[in-house]
Amino acid sequence: MASSSSSNFSSDHLPEAVLQTLGLAILERVGTGDTFRLIGNQPAWWASTFEASPELPIAAGTLSPFLQHFLVDCEAAWRGDQDNMMRSGPWAHRDLASDLHQFEATALTASHRPLLLIERIDERFGQIQTLLQQARDQRLHHIDQVKTHERTQTSLTGSLAIATQERDDLLALLQHLDLAAIVTNQEGCVTFISPRCLAWIECPSTTVIGQPWEQSLPLDSADRKHLRQTWDALTPQHGRCPLRLTSKTPRWIDYEIHADPQSSERRIILLHDRTEVHHLRQQLDHQTQFHDLVGRSPAMLQIYQLVRDVARVDSTVLIEGETGTGKELIARALHYSSPRKDRPFIAANCAGLTDSLLGSQLFGHKRGAFTGAIDDHHGLFESADGGTLFLDEIGDIPTSVQTSLLRVLQEKEITRLGETRPRKVNVRILAATHHNLNEDVIRGTFRADLLYRIRVARIHLPPLRDRRDDIPLLVQVLLGQVCATTGKAITDLHPDSLRLLMTYSWPGNVRELKSAVEFAVISARTTCLMPSDFPEELRHTQRDHRPPASQESHHAEPKAQLLRALQQAQGNRTEAAKLLGISRATLYRRLLAHHIDVVE
Amino acid sequence: MIQKKICLLGGFAVGKTSLVRRFVTGMFSELYQTTIGVTIEKKALVVDGRDVTLMIWDLYGEDDFQNMRESYLRGSAGYILVADGMRQSTLNTAEALHQLAQSTLGPVPFVLMVNKADQFKEWEIDEATLTRLRHKGWLVTTGSAKTGDGVPELFVQLTQKLLEAD
Repeated sequence: MASSSSSNFSSDHLPEAVLQTLGLAILERVGTGDTFRLIGNQPAWWASTFEASPELPIAAGTLSPFLQHFLVDCEAAWRGDQDNMMRSGPWAHRDLASDLHQFEATALTASHRPLLLIERIDERFGQIQTLLQQARDQRLHHIDQVKTHERTQTSLTGSLAIATQERDDLLALLQHLDLAAIVTNQEGCVTFISPRCLAWIECPSTTVIGQPWEQSLPLDSADRKHLRQTWDALTPQHGRCPLRLTSKTPRWIDYEIHADPQSSERRIILLHDRTEVHHLRQQLDHQTQFHDLVGRSPAMLQIYQLVRDVARVDSTVLIEGETGTGKELIARALHYSSPRKDRPFIAANCAGLTDSLLGSQLFGHKRGAFTGAIDDHHGLFESADGGTLFLDEIGDIPTSVQTSLLRVLQEKEITRLGETRPRKVNVRILAATHHNLNEDVIRGTFRADLLYRIRVARIHLPPLRDRRDDIPLLVQVLLGQVCATTGKAITDLHPDSLRLLMTYSWPGNVRELKSAVEFAVISARTTCLMPSDFPEELRHTQRDHRPPASQESHHAEPKAQLLRALQQAQGNRTEAAKLLGISRATLYRRLLAHHIDVVE
Repeated sequence: MIQKKICLLGGFAVGKTSLVRRFVTGMFSELYQTTIGVTIEKKALVVDGRDVTLMIWDLYGEDDFQNMRESYLRGSAGYILVADGMRQSTLNTAEALHQLAQSTLGPVPFVLMVNKADQFKEWEIDEATLTRLRHKGWLVTTGSAKTGDGVPELFVQLTQKLLEAD
């Protein structure tokens, strides 16, 4: 092709020759219509593309519909202006074999000749198409990415909304259940704390989130240590005892520590408010029990209040009540409710002692004061200095001791036997008796002035038969104590047994009840106490028989019963008193009344 | 024989070439190959008992890289606007091209084809939008060059409108 076109490379035809060498078809317009003639040689592609013969005039509009359309635009380029040129832009055209090729046409005027250049641009087009294809592919990819991001964002927004809703529902549920929860991460730092919990600890979440859980809960050191031990156990744990949150409004809480089911390194602490339960329990304990006294009958509640009132002052108190009603327990409750509670409480039984022995015991003695006084000895008054001295069975003390006692109460000083120098003592006297001391005063066996001195305050304990409603509670408490002592597991009380206990008159009061329960526990063959397990006298005594109203009635008790008890206890008076359901002092008194030798 | 020039206008990659190919040859290719310049296809059909030859000008897609030459529209009896149902932006492009065509050609018949109905679940263009266009007097069709659904109907509908316009 180069050699064939070399003949045209004269200076006049140089541009055309160059264009032909580049593979362009150069058509020159003939006249003003659509007829053209091909200048120079036809390009290599012409014959396979167009049917029109290059030797003949060519109707350019018939070559392709696009060219036909383009010729209209070309007029502007052929108006004789040398600078005008019109490009068609690429178009696709199928050749005679139906293969698609890309062309571009240019209309221009050169040397006043209107020309139409047709170029097959397959190769150049391929490069442009590749570039454009890449750019558009990238654009589509970018659009896809944006769309994916938007979808992800929508999905995440939806998930977030669901999660937020679930969180709100969960919080509402926790709130409704009055449940406080803390979630911690593997470092033990708080990652979540429920609003209820925040309200309890009275802190904003910002001060708690991210902090070690121990710092989040206001606890005293003992509770913190306890909680730490539970935490360290690493297994799901329920707190063994409630903790006290020491916030401005203190709360009692139960707690559970669980591993997060989603991640074992995370922990969930559930807190339950037990403040109300705690207060109710306290109130209940307060109502049903006062120190070692048990009972919630109106009479006992009155006594609890009286004890609280009397404990505040330093007056001498006379505690009256039948044997076994718990006079010493009242004395102890008084002492331990009083400002003297940290000082000694000393109980002395005044029954059955001779005046010299009792005097020595109470006031002390000097060496040689009497036969057998081999050393100086300080008495119970001095031992109880600063505290409380409980004188049980004060109605039984000899007259001479009554005088000394009166002096102590008046002067607040004692004189040891064998000494003349008085010693100052600071002792609160609590006295108890089952006697009617008014009658004793009339009878002349008790000093009236001493009575008035010791009866500044007065507490009268009701017999058990007058507070039968307390019997079930007393049985429950006593049963617990006895089972703990004996190691037997008694869980039930047969209804018939309770009926028996409720109808018996209990002349020995609570002490007798305790003995009966002990007896029954020892006798029981099952875990339930049956009526047959209780002492025989309970089952054979008439209902509601009145108890002995005075000491004289005790004299009527069969001497044989006392002797039998002593025999069963092998002479041990404490055991014998237990068997009879009476105090040791009462036993001595009854032994004396029946002229039974009391010397051990 | 009635011969009519129609143009396919739309954003890039909306499926103009695929619609023409489906209509003219009954074929479809998943491979996207961008169109540069103009490809003219011829298709003879009988509509309402009349033989019509459509000269279908498949114009390159409008985007930042290629802008539509108004001169290509000259002599067009009608046009088809093509949008991709999965790209809302292509409907905006179609509306802009409609404005250009109207200003160039005047009120000639046209049809909006929302393509890629085979992926209808992925569509961003919703029915409410199409209803809005229909209320403006647009002839709106949906279909898929991939499955061929709605493709012959698209060209027949436009041809009918062209014949009515005569």
